[in-house]
Amino acid sequence: MLPSELLAVWKRKGVIWPRYTKLSNDNLEVASGLIEVYKNHVGQKKSAVKEFTDEIEEKGYDYRFVRGLSFLLDRRSRFRCSDKIKINPIDLRRKAYHTAGKLGLPTRPDQRRRIVEAVASELKVTVETVEEFLYADLDTELILEEFEPLSPVELLQEYNLSLTQTLLFDSTEVRFTSSGNWQSIFYSVKRLGLIYEAYQDRGFWVKVDGPASLFKLTRRYGTATAKLLPVIVASPKWTVEAKILWKYTNEICDFKMESWKHHALLRKPKVSTLSFDSTVEEDFAARFQALTSGWLLRREPEPVLAGKQVIIPDFSLEKEGIRVYVEIVGFWTVEYLLRKIEKLKKVDVDMLVLVNENLACERLGELEKHPRLNVIYYRDKIPLAPILHYLEQAFREVKAKQTRLVKDLSVVFTEPVINYEEFAARIGVSFEAVRAALTEKLPQGYAVMSNEAVRKDILEQIQKRIDGQMSQKGQLCLSEAIRTIETEGVRDATRALEALGYKVVWHGINSEKAEIVKP
Amino acid sequence: MIHLWFDKGTLLLKGEVGTPYGKWDPRVGCYRIKALHYPDVLSYLEESRLPYQDGVLNLPPSQTMKDIVELRPYQNEALGKWRHAGMRGILVLPTAAGKTYIALKAISLLKTQTLIVVPTLDLIDQWRKRVVDYLSIEAGAVGGGEDNVQMVTVSTYESAYLQAGVLGNKFMFIVFDEVHHLASPSYMQIAEMYIAPYRMGLTATFERSDQRHALLPNLVGDLVYTAKVEELAGEHLSPYTHEKIYVELTPEEQRVYDEEMGVFNGYLREKGIVLKSVEDFHRFIMATGRDRRAREALLARNRAVRVALNSEAKLGLLARQLESHRSEKTLIFTLHNDLVYTISRRFLIPSITYQTPKEERREILENFRTGDYRAIVTSQVLDEGVDVPDASLGFMLSGTGSTREYIQRLGRLLRKVEGKQAKLVEIVSKETMEVRMSRRRRQKTTEEA
Repeated sequence: MLPSELLAVWKRKGVIWPRYTKLSNDNLEVASGLIEVYKNHVGQKKSAVKEFTDEIEEKGYDYRFVRGLSFLLDRRSRFRCSDKIKINPIDLRRKAYHTAGKLGLPTRPDQRRRIVEAVASELKVTVETVEEFLYADLDTELILEEFEPLSPVELLQEYNLSLTQTLLFDSTEVRFTSSGNWQSIFYSVKRLGLIYEAYQDRGFWVKVDGPASLFKLTRRYGTATAKLLPVIVASPKWTVEAKILWKYTNEICDFKMESWKHHALLRKPKVSTLSFDSTVEEDFAARFQALTSGWLLRREPEPVLAGKQVIIPDFSLEKEGIRVYVEIVGFWTVEYLLRKIEKLKKVDVDMLVLVNENLACERLGELEKHPRLNVIYYRDKIPLAPILHYLEQAFREVKAKQTRLVKDLSVVFTEPVINYEEFAARIGVSFEAVRAALTEKLPQGYAVMSNEAVRKDILEQIQKRIDGQMSQKGQLCLSEAIRTIETEGVRDATRALEALGYKVVWHGINSEKAEIVKP
Repeated sequence: MIHLWFDKGTLLLKGEVGTPYGKWDPRVGCYRIKALHYPDVLSYLEESRLPYQDGVLNLPPSQTMKDIVELRPYQNEALGKWRHAGMRGILVLPTAAGKTYIALKAISLLKTQTLIVVPTLDLIDQWRKRVVDYLSIEAGAVGGGEDNVQMVTVSTYESAYLQAGVLGNKFMFIVFDEVHHLASPSYMQIAEMYIAPYRMGLTATFERSDQRHALLPNLVGDLVYTAKVEELAGEHLSPYTHEKIYVELTPEEQRVYDEEMGVFNGYLREKGIVLKSVEDFHRFIMATGRDRRAREALLARNRAVRVALNSEAKLGLLARQLESHRSEKTLIFTLHNDLVYTISRRFLIPSITYQTPKEERREILENFRTGDYRAIVTSQVLDEGVDVPDASLGFMLSGTGSTREYIQRLGRLLRKVEGKQAKLVEIVSKETMEVRMSRRRRQKTTEEA
């Protein structure tokens, strides 16, 4: 994060963005030049470092850029007061002031010399030493003792990240989405005293601001949200949007950054995304994956919306679009679990809670009164058999329920092609349930393929076109037939050909040479 | 039953009813209310006869005070006006008129948990000393590395702002020293995020050039008392004189000054830029980020200003002046730190800048008080509040055009000591822009007089 006078932005028509530094040769040269200056000045005065950085600035670069880099390098440096003499400059000054106080303020050079000589002889040092060390503790006089180098690319990336954070100081609200890292993100949100609202808007989004944001636009939480940024951009895919209250014009500007565009520009801090909370979890994940049960285990799945709050389960288990969440509870109290249930009640998801019996702080009996919770107890190791049993049962139940749901839907289909996947997503059930339901209960006037159902008149239309092409050219290659079918909106062309009774004669593996024949 | 509690600088109200001061917060499913409205909400609930549970306050334990504050007649009058206004309001009194004592008296009247908000770390020390001397209890401090909340606590504006979320429900009375600071967009949130029903604002310079002081009555209470320097000078403040001495730049300085100003003015002429107001100048500075030539022009101007402000001729004059006033306790003010250190080095005068370690600063001020040190040279940091009772001679070698700065620097010399005749000497470089700056800073005060 940079001092605000070094913040360089572009602003146009209510949109604002930092002047990101491109990782161009020119900029990399400036960065590496500056890094060299710091490396070469270990053991020398800060003012000497600044002379060089000023020189680079003079070459015509944006001074905010050069000073920004220099600011970041200062932070990687340790400056200290020269220790060539044993006397502290403060003591030296005290002595000089006192002597001047006694002998009278010197207004002529000879008076001054007498005082300095008196101080020097009393402290048993030379006059030059007194002169040199009188202000050796001033910022510019400090000695660069240690410098922790980094590469020019890293410096520019750090600069861009700091620049963005500096812009976010002036933000009144920030919203973002991320492909992972949620536990760290929500932990940070809480630690920074922010308030979040989660919602779905083509993806899972989180808006953060603070308590007083309710009353008026305030930059008060800008610093905290700026601190959140590194955790967000540490995941591979993200988008960050913010409202910036630009103080110089007092206007609200939009800011947006996206991973596909800006990922390479930013320094990513190391966030331990895959550190398991406990060995119990790690052990469970390893053993479950070894089972090859057909259930895909995922750590830190996307958070589950519960109203405007979120639940971040430890794991999700997925099979054919059916998902069960798993939460492992270590130490617990009934109150804690009840709060959890309360939160879970708001969401319609399957959640399996694994509770350690040994770590129970209260009687287990209390829990039994709450049948909504799917609890499996364990003692030392999490048992897999009951979990699998539960999963299979849940799978059957959910699938049956969803299949029934789809079958009971009184939908009149009119579209040319019903794509199962899209339809499943639209009504919020699994793909399998849609397929099972539509295979069992055929929609009228449709032919069922493996992944879609096609309206019969479309099939006839396809047949007509293919027959026409065949008779026109004498023969028709497979790739051309596929193109024809796909222009009608059907994705699984091979199944369509099959359904229409065509056969494919292959001459080698090239579909350009494969031929369609009518039996 | 309605529950009311404090949440990070705001109040949350849960219950079947809303309140006229609150706003529904869908993020948490409660009414949220500015902490400022705490007394209003309570009286609303009382008047509506709504049963409620108040879990807002988290006050530090109280201590018994013994107050030995004696107020002068005008201080008593000020305090009376404030009490009459419901223990809220702003008092405007010149520096050295003893604003501190009015606040101490108010604390001892209310005998309640009090936060005193001040602009600098020096002032934290000073207030704590006053509290222990006059109320005989130890005051806590928040800011400058300390975090110690007591029945009476002193904090910087910065810390009071940053920690509003945890401090906001700990005090019933809040005193804003140099209250004009409170009107800035961020600091005004201190007033909004603390529940304290009793409030007092103190300042010598109420008006701000940005007019934001108009916001203060809503946050602290109305302006209930005003006294001007002229009304108190002589009887309650030391009488003072003001003198302006012009110096000529050395020929070399004059050459550099003209050359650099030529670059700057040439650029303005070429671009047809007119810099009339502060806003014009601000826009110009913003443009220097994009336009390299604009930046060069600005740098040239800054170099010219430096030549004028730091002229060798001023140091020569200062030397002569110091010689002819050997017995007076002297404060030397400059705008830039380099000039502080030039003077400190040349005359071996103790220097105070933002870089001076806190311990050394305290020691210098103490030695100045006892008379071991005769002079102090400083940039801006002494402007506010720090007490140097018997300083009688001030030199302004350079400064901004700000009236506030001028009044505060003058104020350092005005603390009443029997027989003291204060004198402020401005040293200004002839035929430079500094002449205008000097005129601007005094304009207002002379108008008032």
